[in-house]
Amino acid sequence: MATKVLMEALSPTMEEGRLVEWKKAEGAAVKVGEILAEVETDKAVMDLQARAEGVLLKQAITPGTTVPVGQLVGVIGSAGEDIAGLLGASAAGSAGVPAPPPASAQARTAAVATTPGATAAAAAATPAPGPAPTPTAGGRVKASPLARRMAADRGVDLAGVQGSGPEGRIVVRDLSTGARVTPGLRAEGEAFIEVPLSQIRKTIAKRLTQSIGPVPTFYLTTEIDMERVAEAREALNQSAQRGGAGEEAAKVSFNDIVLKATAMALRQHARCNAWWQDDRIRYWNEVHLSVAVAIEDGLITPVVRHADQKTLREIAVEVRSLATRARERRLTPDQYTGGTFSVSNLGMFEIDQFTAVINPPEAGILAVGSVQAKPVAVEGRVEVRRRMRVTMSCDHRVIDGATGAGFLRTLKGMLENPLAML
Amino acid sequence: MTGAEPLGVIRLGQVSYRQAHALQRALVDRRIEGAIQRDLLLLLEHEPTVTLGRGTRAGSLPLPPEELEAQGLTVVEVERGGDVTWHGPGQLVGYPILDLHHHREDLHWYLRQVEQALIMGLARMEIPAERNPGYTGVWTEGRKIASIGIHVRQWVTSHGFALNVVNDLAGFDLIVPCGISGVEMTSVAGERRRQGQNGPPDGDAGDLYEATVAATIAGVGEVFGRCPEPATLAELLPAGTLPDPGTFPGRGPR
Repeated sequence: MATKVLMEALSPTMEEGRLVEWKKAEGAAVKVGEILAEVETDKAVMDLQARAEGVLLKQAITPGTTVPVGQLVGVIGSAGEDIAGLLGASAAGSAGVPAPPPASAQARTAAVATTPGATAAAAAATPAPGPAPTPTAGGRVKASPLARRMAADRGVDLAGVQGSGPEGRIVVRDLSTGARVTPGLRAEGEAFIEVPLSQIRKTIAKRLTQSIGPVPTFYLTTEIDMERVAEAREALNQSAQRGGAGEEAAKVSFNDIVLKATAMALRQHARCNAWWQDDRIRYWNEVHLSVAVAIEDGLITPVVRHADQKTLREIAVEVRSLATRARERRLTPDQYTGGTFSVSNLGMFEIDQFTAVINPPEAGILAVGSVQAKPVAVEGRVEVRRRMRVTMSCDHRVIDGATGAGFLRTLKGMLENPLAML
Repeated sequence: MTGAEPLGVIRLGQVSYRQAHALQRALVDRRIEGAIQRDLLLLLEHEPTVTLGRGTRAGSLPLPPEELEAQGLTVVEVERGGDVTWHGPGQLVGYPILDLHHHREDLHWYLRQVEQALIMGLARMEIPAERNPGYTGVWTEGRKIASIGIHVRQWVTSHGFALNVVNDLAGFDLIVPCGISGVEMTSVAGERRRQGQNGPPDGDAGDLYEATVAATIAGVGEVFGRCPEPATLAELLPAGTLPDPGTFPGRGPR
């Protein structure tokens, strides 16, 4: 009878442990009490001892992998024993087994990086009790919980998917072909990727927090020429009026255009579209914009989901609807949670420029001032042009100065040349 | 402390990292076998050494090991938890060899207790020290004064702490990632200078070191409920296995 080797709790407060090194090879004979592996938690390393005698039949995880306490890490049994059942049951029931792909440095995909909070948040963002996967001849299809949920969302039948995880387990990356974590942080087909904090990011986070408070914020301001946006907006709204029906609802505001441009710029700057998660950073591949709306006794930030994929008109209609619901206090939680970046606009109050407070765990917020006509130098001559100042507040634990500046440059370019965006 | 079980304190002076490592292993083995019955605290200094713990990441060591060795440092990979750290003369290194069966079988508890022992020792030196949640070690006003990394086999502990006392802190510059002074290191001498208690004149560095040793022993004894008493290797290891005294060229207690 084979015995499971589990990640042991070396402290009641230990939730997960990192298997540092295997001390016994697969196929090696082990006695009770012999050291199988080293496990690290916090700054302590402890030996994992064999609790059964026999042969180490399987090393279920690779060195360097962190797994929750109680998860199967290996199997001891007699030589030649069939342990497929033991491994299969464990793989299907466990949270995140596979080791990070070595090529992608420390980048772990959503499929393998599961913290309780992260899973809960992802579940909140995509609540989808879909059809159960089709059982195959061999029984249930093996897949990670996230892969199951995403497959259900998309109506994908897991029975037809080739798994690339251990024992052919289906993980998220198997759901779309060619999905790979690229250096640009984009992983097609996944909502986000999570990257454990590197030493330098940890150090930056700690030092800056000591200096300025729990969210070490800095501010970047730029002035954007809005002449062409203004012209494009007039043209859009005139054509809508000629079209007749629902002209009020369909009218596009400056803010709608800023939202659209922000969402598109975030697609190019995933490093600004991120959540601070204490021990890791979640870089979102989806853009969900939180839009600050003033209500009678406060403010709330309804979320325009997938704002980068919506047309200007769709954004305009949705923001109008969300703002109305917000003032009537009829927003449901899924309408005001899950944003990946915020935009706050006080232009209608004739505020030239301001700094907005970051909405954690988001790492950035854009404060948008009013569009004002003012004299500016254009090719050596003074012209009166409509200009708008925006200030981005950045969580320095996530976004560095140059990173935020790169995003703002793209945003400015889009707004100064809106045809490229529309 | 009457009635408390003993804590055998062994002062080794300056010992090479590898020698101290072999010695710890021998003592841990004897404790597991039951040949040693009491808790021990080894106190020593290392020659300039960079050690790489099990948590060492790429990037924590900006220079390749060969270059560090060319600068006269020893580079050792060790089985303790934690990232890279530096040891050298003037730093108080403490290796408690305790059987946690007789305390609490809880690694996190043990780490916090070691921190507490150092905090209490530093309090005796009038240095206010504290923990930094999430960053094991001991800190004072945001500066790191002691590093901790431990190993446990069958609940017997080894490795331990390194408290900066009168050592030159420049050694840590070799392991600070990417030139960002991420963690500011400090020492007992540095903190006392900062407090305006003009640092000890040159001749008195030894006094400050000795005072810190005494305070740290008291802190460890207090936190783990043990009564410190001097001990020697001769009484703990069988005659044949006792390392040749010649291999311990240390100055002895300074």
